[in-house]
Amino acid sequence: MAEFIIAHMYPDLMNLYGDRGNLLCLRKRLQWYGYQSYINEISFASKPDYHNVDMIFMGGGSDREVKLIYQDLISKGADLKKAMEDGIPMLFIDSAYQLLGQAYMDADENLIDGLGFFKFSTLRAKNRLTGNIILNSTITGKECTVVGFENHYGCTYFQDDNLQPFGRVLKGFGNNGEDGYEGLIYKNLIGTYLHGPLLPKNPEIADFFIKAMAERRGITVKSGLDDSIEHFAHNQVKDKILARS
Amino acid sequence: MNRIRLMLAILAGKTFIIISRLLGNQGSSFPGKIARRIYPAVLMELAAQVKGKIIVITGTNGKTTTSNMVARIINESNATLIHNQSGANMIPGITTAFIEKSGLTGRKKFEYALLETDEAHVPLLLKELNPSLLLITNFFSDQLDRFGELDNIIKKIKAAVNNREIDLLLNADDPLTAHFHDLTSLRRYYFGFTATSYDSYDSQESREGRYCIICGQKLEYQRYHYAGLGKFNCPECGNHNPELNFTGHNLVMASHIELMVDNIKITSPYQGFDNAYNIIAAVATARILGINEQDIQKGIADYQPQAGRMETFYINGRPAVLILVKNPTGLNQSLNTVIQDISLKNLFFALNDNQGDGRDISWIWDADIEVIEEEQHRIKQVVCSGWRSGDMALRVKYAGYPVERIAIKSNLKEAIEHITSLESEVVYLFSTYSALFKCRKILERMSDVRDRKPEAESMRSEG
Repeated sequence: MAEFIIAHMYPDLMNLYGDRGNLLCLRKRLQWYGYQSYINEISFASKPDYHNVDMIFMGGGSDREVKLIYQDLISKGADLKKAMEDGIPMLFIDSAYQLLGQAYMDADENLIDGLGFFKFSTLRAKNRLTGNIILNSTITGKECTVVGFENHYGCTYFQDDNLQPFGRVLKGFGNNGEDGYEGLIYKNLIGTYLHGPLLPKNPEIADFFIKAMAERRGITVKSGLDDSIEHFAHNQVKDKILARS
Repeated sequence: MNRIRLMLAILAGKTFIIISRLLGNQGSSFPGKIARRIYPAVLMELAAQVKGKIIVITGTNGKTTTSNMVARIINESNATLIHNQSGANMIPGITTAFIEKSGLTGRKKFEYALLETDEAHVPLLLKELNPSLLLITNFFSDQLDRFGELDNIIKKIKAAVNNREIDLLLNADDPLTAHFHDLTSLRRYYFGFTATSYDSYDSQESREGRYCIICGQKLEYQRYHYAGLGKFNCPECGNHNPELNFTGHNLVMASHIELMVDNIKITSPYQGFDNAYNIIAAVATARILGINEQDIQKGIADYQPQAGRMETFYINGRPAVLILVKNPTGLNQSLNTVIQDISLKNLFFALNDNQGDGRDISWIWDADIEVIEEEQHRIKQVVCSGWRSGDMALRVKYAGYPVERIAIKSNLKEAIEHITSLESEVVYLFSTYSALFKCRKILERMSDVRDRKPEAESMRSEG
């Protein structure tokens, strides 16, 4: 039986608003598809070989926590970039997503360098951008809605027309509340502001990662799971968001 | 002129209190809001009626239970008291409590005011009145979406008490209270536990507070009492639990709680380690107020669990226990108490996302629901209800509980009728705040008898 290894970056510190639920979701779905999985916890000082993992996950963190991991993350930057270019599936949420850009603004309005993988920067809004959010996304090959909860001060602006958003906002704020973009997709990496957590209520996105992991191993994932509860939960919040127009 | 505005504000407040009673609302903040509109200084002036002490109780978990216990003790000592109840713990709700007790001219006298206050509202409240004691029960990750991160709240509370004549009563076992260690101008009291037989040596629960707030190093714990509370030290800077002024020891938890606080023996009909902390915090508060030992013992012993705090109803002869949940730590603690009951049971969850619950329901993924899967041989069915019944059902599914035994019924009444009709020895009903009183009404209507039996009888403890 195939085994998949998911690297969890800074599990103690980078986990806001139930982000760890994304890993619970991926692991259970892998199990239901008939595969085993392991979590490889990556923290300070560990020097992981990213090519021995099938996916990399990093959740959001508060300003204090980002400061604690910052130096260590920057030191892992080159390896992470290579993993990303090689198509390793990656999910980076909220402040982890912001760190992928060129710069972001912290709570004291200092501009801090990011990892610089992409040409985007994150400024700080006066008021928190918060609430349920719904997107249209085409990353799975066909159009689907994605639901979640956003809660951020960061306003992310693309400075490169070639950057692809994760989705287009139907209701909510997204990257900055202005241009209608939410998150970013590049190869098998998704950066996004969506908590909720993201994957349980959006099984198509969870399966996007699972298929990408399997494909890299030359494995074809067998047919779909019974997602009736997932779809019920998705539609329940979707109806709620769209009703409030 | 101000005198007249004050009286008008009191009159309007009192009128709206009567109206909201008639409409069946519990602990309302609306009358206070109206009164403040008429006369913004209404709370400031009414607070002057308190001739003794104003006590503010805040913190993430346990503030309602703790303040109710303290109120019970104060009543036992026959002192006069203003006390806001049942969750109306923001400024308008506190204003309502003052108006309710005041006379029309606002010139009565009270010995104490006991104010349960939402963490984020403490700085605002301290602008309007001068408490002599601030009790902080603990700080856990809670309802982050309304207020921003915990650090911010703590910083604001710290700034608000700095250079004021306010005594602090703090939880020595909570590393986050170390924020207050360096306030030189204040008197600080600490309560906490020595080693207990319920301690564990590793914690899988919420991560909040596990890093030293002084230097950022990961804290080392010699023992955990519950969640992030325990005996800790920082290997980097030496930060460790402060010395105790009120020490809990000889803790016994079975169908009720027994413990010693220093040399006072306390017995309470409550259960669980979270409540053991509430008890010691309440006892410490009463000691600081100078209340005698007998009144403290009687107050705690007579204080029965109330709305949503393990309140038991009997339906067709079987117990149905209602439990308020609002954050991962509280839910973990309640689930751990429930799985200690070896009866065959059914579970019910009502998950809402109204303002009072916190709009973001993602916290259910930070709770260790997985204990339901481990206990599935004694949990026959799980019914999920509320506005976010789907999210709750998903959480239970991804905890590994068999999906064919999960039912979604968004309507509270249908869901409760369903779960109580299924075979089991006991039903546990978990509810977030905004669904709690509705669940309670439904359960009351279905109850066999009006008089409820003591809660302790409904649980059979293992070992």
